[in-house]
Amino acid sequence: VAKTSLTSPPWPEVKLPDPVEEAKYHAEVVRKVNGLISAGEYGRLFAVVHFASKQWKITSEDLIMMDNVLEAECGDRIRMEKVLLVGADDFTLVGRPLLGKELVRVEATVIEKTESWPKINMRFWRRHSFQRKKIIANPQTVLRINTIEIYPRLS
Amino acid sequence: MVVLSAARWVRSRLSDRFWRVQEVLKYARHFRGRKNRCYRLAVRSVRRAFVRSTKARREKKRSLRALWITRIEAASLEHGLKYPAFISNLVKSQVELNRKVLADLAIYEPKTFKSLAALAQRRRQEGFLAALGDGKEPEGIFSRIVHQHY
Repeated sequence: VAKTSLTSPPWPEVKLPDPVEEAKYHAEVVRKVNGLISAGEYGRLFAVVHFASKQWKITSEDLIMMDNVLEAECGDRIRMEKVLLVGADDFTLVGRPLLGKELVRVEATVIEKTESWPKINMRFWRRHSFQRKKIIANPQTVLRINTIEIYPRLS
Repeated sequence: MVVLSAARWVRSRLSDRFWRVQEVLKYARHFRGRKNRCYRLAVRSVRRAFVRSTKARREKKRSLRALWITRIEAASLEHGLKYPAFISNLVKSQVELNRKVLADLAIYEPKTFKSLAALAQRRRQEGFLAALGDGKEPEGIFSRIVHQHY
């Protein structure tokens, strides 16, 4: 049969590696990473956390400011549960979409609950004698990330 | 005698005009030209500045997202992937990282970004293989070349 433009797909031909060898490779990688975590040979950990409907890339001793009210008093310790990604220098753990709660632990303390600087909302329509001015001060909360810990429970 | 209304020559006059004017001029002090000193010109400039800042607050979200997308595109091209392929394959692999965090990872955690690009590339190849299917023709259809006999 003659070759037309539709005989082969427009993408280059793909060959996936052998599944058996791949399984062995995956098991080895998991063993190595577990060994590193249990030996504690990582430096600073960073995590991507979903909090207050936003995603934050955080490390320990980090300050975070949210544009809303948190129902916790100043000085309360908070555990952030929705962790999407945890990484160190040599390895990263990517969640699909979240990582398990027994794997990561992110702790934070509420430091400050203030209002933002007075923002001015103004609407003006020229030649129509229409102007409205409103001053808005949103409540804000400041959190300090204390620790990020991982436990070697990969499989 | 009992006076029930104020006399006609008594008018109420402003005593805090200075502070009312300063309230507007304080927002115009860093402007250029006479509009940082003269009230009449300053009022118009300050009003336009306020309106522009309200509109810019809505535009800021759009322009920041465009900036993140540009950065992610540049970083993924360094690893041999285009932006639509990268994002669509990440989403199909159930990795729900948003563009802000992906741009931050591309800047500050290059090794992590490289692993994410490899994940997207692998998912893309699996998608191509799945699209090709078995390679057999469907039933009830004969081959493309039909020989016409006249």
